[in-house]
Amino acid sequence: MIVGGQSLVTSPPVFSHDGKKLLVCTGCTVSVFSTTTGMLITELEGHTERVTSIVVVPVAGTVGTKFSDYCWTASLDGMIFYWDFSTPDLLKKVNVQLPVHSFVIPNILSASLGRSDKASQNLYAFISVEDANKEVENGKHLHGSIQIYDLTNSTRAGGVLAETHKPETLAISKSGEFVGIKKQKQLNIWRVPNKNLKSVNMKKLKLHHTRTLSCLAFHPTKCIVAAGDVSGRILIWRGFGKMRHSQDGGGKMKIDMGDRPGVRGEDDADSCSTWHWHSSEIKFLMFSSDEAYLFSGAKEGVIVVWQLDTGNKTYKPNIGSPLMYFTDSPDPSLSCVSCEDNQIHLLRMPSMDIIKSISGIKPPLILSELQGDRSRVTIGCDRSIGFVALPTKDYRIQFFSLLDGTDISHLQVIERNYDPVDETTVFISLVEVSDDGSMMSTVEEKLPEMGIGGLISLKFWIRGSHTGQYTLSTIIYEPHNNAGVSDMAFCPGRSMAVSTSYCGNFKVWVNNSSFIHSGDEIQEKGGWRCQSVSSYKEIPMTAAAFSGDGSVLAVAAETKITLWDPLNNVLVAIIGDSLGPIRQLAFVGSSEYIMSFSSGTKADLVVWNISNLSTHWSYKLLVEDICCTRSETRVAVLALLSSSDKSISTGKDGMVLVFDVENPIPVSTWFVKKAKGGRLSFINNKLGEATDGKLLLAYINGEHNYVLFDPSNVKEQEDLIPKSARRPQSYAHDENVSHGYASIYGELPSFDLTKARSSDSIPFVSSERPWETIFSGSSHALPPLSKLCSPFLESLLEKAEKQTVLSQ
Amino acid sequence: MYLQSPLPLGNCGTRLCFPYEELDVSDLNDWTPRPWLALQNPSEAVTRPPALSTEYTTKTKRSEAMMADEATRRVFPTEPASHLRPRSRSVKSLVSTPESSFWRTFRSSTLHPSYLHLPITSLSFSPNSSLLAAASSTSVRVFSSLSLSEYDPTLFATLPLPDLAYSPSFRCDGALIAAGCENGAVRVFDLPNDKPPKTLRRLNAHSCASRVVGFPLLDHKLRLFSAGDDALFVQWDLPTETPLFSVPGAHRDYIRAGAPSPVSPDVFVTGSYDHTVKIWDARVNSGTSSVLSINHGHPVESVLFLPSGGLVATAGGNTIKIWDVIAGGKPVYSVETHNKTVTALTLAKVRDDTRLLSVSIDGYLKSFDFSRFKITHSMRYPAPLLSVAFSPTGTIRVVGTNNGAMYMGIKKKKDEFEDQVGSDDFAWSVPLPEKPTSRKNIRYFKRGQSEKPSEGDFIIKRPEKVKLKEHDRLLRKFLHKDALVSVLKTQQTTSIMAVLEELVARRKLIKCISNLDNDELKLLLSFISKKATQPWCARFFMDLAKWVLEIRAEDIRSGGPEMAVHVRNLRSMVAHEIQVQRSLQEIQGMISPLLVIAGK
Repeated sequence: MIVGGQSLVTSPPVFSHDGKKLLVCTGCTVSVFSTTTGMLITELEGHTERVTSIVVVPVAGTVGTKFSDYCWTASLDGMIFYWDFSTPDLLKKVNVQLPVHSFVIPNILSASLGRSDKASQNLYAFISVEDANKEVENGKHLHGSIQIYDLTNSTRAGGVLAETHKPETLAISKSGEFVGIKKQKQLNIWRVPNKNLKSVNMKKLKLHHTRTLSCLAFHPTKCIVAAGDVSGRILIWRGFGKMRHSQDGGGKMKIDMGDRPGVRGEDDADSCSTWHWHSSEIKFLMFSSDEAYLFSGAKEGVIVVWQLDTGNKTYKPNIGSPLMYFTDSPDPSLSCVSCEDNQIHLLRMPSMDIIKSISGIKPPLILSELQGDRSRVTIGCDRSIGFVALPTKDYRIQFFSLLDGTDISHLQVIERNYDPVDETTVFISLVEVSDDGSMMSTVEEKLPEMGIGGLISLKFWIRGSHTGQYTLSTIIYEPHNNAGVSDMAFCPGRSMAVSTSYCGNFKVWVNNSSFIHSGDEIQEKGGWRCQSVSSYKEIPMTAAAFSGDGSVLAVAAETKITLWDPLNNVLVAIIGDSLGPIRQLAFVGSSEYIMSFSSGTKADLVVWNISNLSTHWSYKLLVEDICCTRSETRVAVLALLSSSDKSISTGKDGMVLVFDVENPIPVSTWFVKKAKGGRLSFINNKLGEATDGKLLLAYINGEHNYVLFDPSNVKEQEDLIPKSARRPQSYAHDENVSHGYASIYGELPSFDLTKARSSDSIPFVSSERPWETIFSGSSHALPPLSKLCSPFLESLLEKAEKQTVLSQ
Repeated sequence: MYLQSPLPLGNCGTRLCFPYEELDVSDLNDWTPRPWLALQNPSEAVTRPPALSTEYTTKTKRSEAMMADEATRRVFPTEPASHLRPRSRSVKSLVSTPESSFWRTFRSSTLHPSYLHLPITSLSFSPNSSLLAAASSTSVRVFSSLSLSEYDPTLFATLPLPDLAYSPSFRCDGALIAAGCENGAVRVFDLPNDKPPKTLRRLNAHSCASRVVGFPLLDHKLRLFSAGDDALFVQWDLPTETPLFSVPGAHRDYIRAGAPSPVSPDVFVTGSYDHTVKIWDARVNSGTSSVLSINHGHPVESVLFLPSGGLVATAGGNTIKIWDVIAGGKPVYSVETHNKTVTALTLAKVRDDTRLLSVSIDGYLKSFDFSRFKITHSMRYPAPLLSVAFSPTGTIRVVGTNNGAMYMGIKKKKDEFEDQVGSDDFAWSVPLPEKPTSRKNIRYFKRGQSEKPSEGDFIIKRPEKVKLKEHDRLLRKFLHKDALVSVLKTQQTTSIMAVLEELVARRKLIKCISNLDNDELKLLLSFISKKATQPWCARFFMDLAKWVLEIRAEDIRSGGPEMAVHVRNLRSMVAHEIQVQRSLQEIQGMISPLLVIAGK
């Protein structure tokens, strides 16, 4: 079983202490990527719920050996784990019992688990937990709370620091001195005392603002905190907490209301300045490691670099997607930015060039303004190689390999500039890949403005020399006048395609082009032309499918299925009514059955017998997708459970059923989550020797998480989003890229004090070949050249003499 | 367990798909943030009170955000969908080669040396001065000052001849000129600068027209050769006016072509209407037999030694042939690109190379690269061409026609090579060795830049910079109305369509229309009223027209007579279209029963 497609951007990624690895929360696991190759090294598996935050243990100076890769991870399952992620081993489990949304360890430098002495401090963590069962107090639903937890002893240390409506993300300053959260319109900041960390003696500092805050960041050294709000403003408080934190004893606070520009009320800060450039909610704030700049990012997809002293700003390259998080690494020349389109870009720092991109499967297109059946954006699937073609927001198609879990390539479909701020008016509504992957068709739609200027165009693509490389063959504008294309199907074994439309006709397209290979590029003459147009009683055509040998074309005319001879454009037969308009058709292998399902209020799943034009069996199920094999009689059905079902409560809203087409009783059933918008496909398992080329069933859920499994092996009723079985792509040993000092000057020789001392004591013995060592040594220790010259020349002479002797 | 195969491409990500675009500094200047007031857009100001500047700020912000675009991402200018582009029937544009660009640097002019419209049978340039001799009618006219600045060459001298003049020829130092005549006389004139030309020698041997007269090319100033319609070939000693070497009956027909060898003063080639080309050597006094005889296959109109002296080019009929005389008259190449008889040949210096120019009755001048055996350029003239000459400096090209007109091309700007050519005859001068470039010279730093890639080289192209037009730039700054107005002013239908479609995609079209002021509205209305019923954009424009009329009804009503004209035009256009549709429906009604019957 292969699982993949997890979002890489649910939580901020974290760099390892040497900047060579990047730890990314991917669902229940933590994936460790190499920053030099951008590939997956290993995965930390153990959590049973989504991992929410990671804290990497920094190397503590003298004690740290070269291979100390330790980290803490927290998850929604209420566990905090301690890992050695180089091996990877789970070292320690701490049960917090409440779902942890965020946690930080302020004194991680001074206290280190395991290797530290008994005398040293306990390790404390600030955790942000969610307590859903908490009683309602004063009419407020305070689900989130901030607590301190003793990780060494696995006990809660003290009471609750703060309560929030929902669990908040904790921020910590680099030195570990301050910990803060945003709490609606205010910031709560705690100074962490060096010793005796108990919630009792924690002083809370509040900074107020008039709008809801969205993120915050601490300056690495100074008492400066920056916060962003939902309107795109950035607030910078300088010199916060001087009074409260300094007058720890509780002396009287004197606040001169005079020279504190921008500070609200009795907030404890010297000044507060506001910068405004972003037009939407600030997603991240981050101070640069040299303390001179502040980076901010929002929906625009541009990293704005603010000069901290002046407020001047510059803009760094447009990433082209809404930004989520920005993480800097211990290596000052490396940082990374996470984008909403499930990509993490590694940036070379001062210039912010993208070095590498770690990209996951693209999130599904969400078209808010599209209602009804038009909202269905289909994704293409290549059965032979096992990749899916997913339309993305920035007018491209991503080819994603399900078997490898990697992004193969991107194809620009619509030649338009993408701006993340714009609402979606142009989109790819349909992607269809032929069974062998050699042809692809895309349908793009431009929505009209007040009824003006809508445009639908159909594009045919031909595969190039590499997988996932397609070249544009033909563009057909308005293939069915201004009516939308409801479905596309490719004829197996022939370059023929059919497109059906809501205006009541379907067109058969043929490709009679010849290819001219000129160098690397394939030039094409001719292209796709319409061979025939047909309609059946002007009823909207909603789905199409070719039979396995390509001799029969089935087109659904709302509730009826019409069978055609695609070559001669002759109507062969009509099969009677389903309950609702048919959404999809599929021929079952080479058998005489055809399967259809319809959606809406009268949803059903029907298997029709072509030979006697009758219903074979049917279910009254709300089906999301069906999938048939080309050779066998197995069919897989993804059905949505109605809300009355019990399993909804567990989050599972759909099920995958595998039938043998002869028999209406399912062979096996699995319950799945997020089935709405899901997709099923059979994929040839070319890689696994164990399953001997058996077909794998791929299930992609509505959030584009996917699972590949052999339907005959996996036990029924099993949870279909299990732990990962992905193979790491690369191993740590293949990356010996030096950085920092070593990249410029090379590795320093390992300096061993004891050895150096011992060598002093050894008396100098002149070597056999003095010309090699005579000049070695530091320059001030060498005797003058005039003295050295004669022994050097002598040594050479000696050698010559010896040689002559030997030759004699 | 599944991942046994080697790794796939890895995370090629978004960035491998498109070539990097270089960040242009000028574009960056465009993007620098500016004060809000500078961006006050009159169009938007109509609808929004200036106090609420949130829209401006977002707009500016977005255009600023766009600025970071270029470095990593490709830019797509607005382009209309190709179905909206009217099919152009234009011919594929001619390919521009270095050769054609060279010939294009000539500025052409026409002049008529005589007003008799008599054919110009021969043209000749002086080897060392810019004198041009043209034989036409009964005189040889010598022109001077064929310089760049002056279009009209001044007449330098007219050489009187008793009958129709033929074949003027300058001596190698340019001091003397000789010409043949219809009655067979050959006369030699001198060309003093201040005095009228004087007849120095009269050479009488030919009984018929002496069509071919020529001085040797090499430094042999006292010799002259002539040949004529009486098939006599003579080499003269000038001072004594006596023939040194005379071949009566050299050919069996008129001799109409002849040329001296560039390597020996005693070797000549003649071509005749008896289809043969003969090579003569005055040192071999073997009676009437020639050194070499070649059959061209057509009556020979012109012969020429190529600069090496080992190849001979002959023109006759519509073919030009190249022969190797050293190899005993072996044909090397044959060119048949002219449609009619080729009348004259000459050599031309094109940059560093030498070309063979040929003119023909069909009115074409063709440039032939005899090192690669390829026609490199061809020019068309409106009359049959009889003669051609190319100045030794490589700056002037003259062709003579049969109606007395001379077409002259003068090179517009000086080439670097001009000065180097100097007074030597261009054709056989060895090009000077290239100056060693010093570090002070700009050429030192640019050396190798014009290097052309060889066959096996892998060429890395610099990514092409997307050229953005005015309306694209405005669109990138989100100044939608300004973009619409600017594109409407260009009157280019396809661009206007593209901008309108882009506005639709941005949901800004209706707002733009409502913000147009009256003049701009007129612009839009006039465009719509012209194009509304064009089939390829009708669906769009019908809806658009409806909206424009609906939104701006009051402005149109109060807009004055000009606006009314546009609306009237629109109405009449719609009425006309309805009529067309109706008649089309009638036709459809007639045809569809026929189709149904045919289908059965």
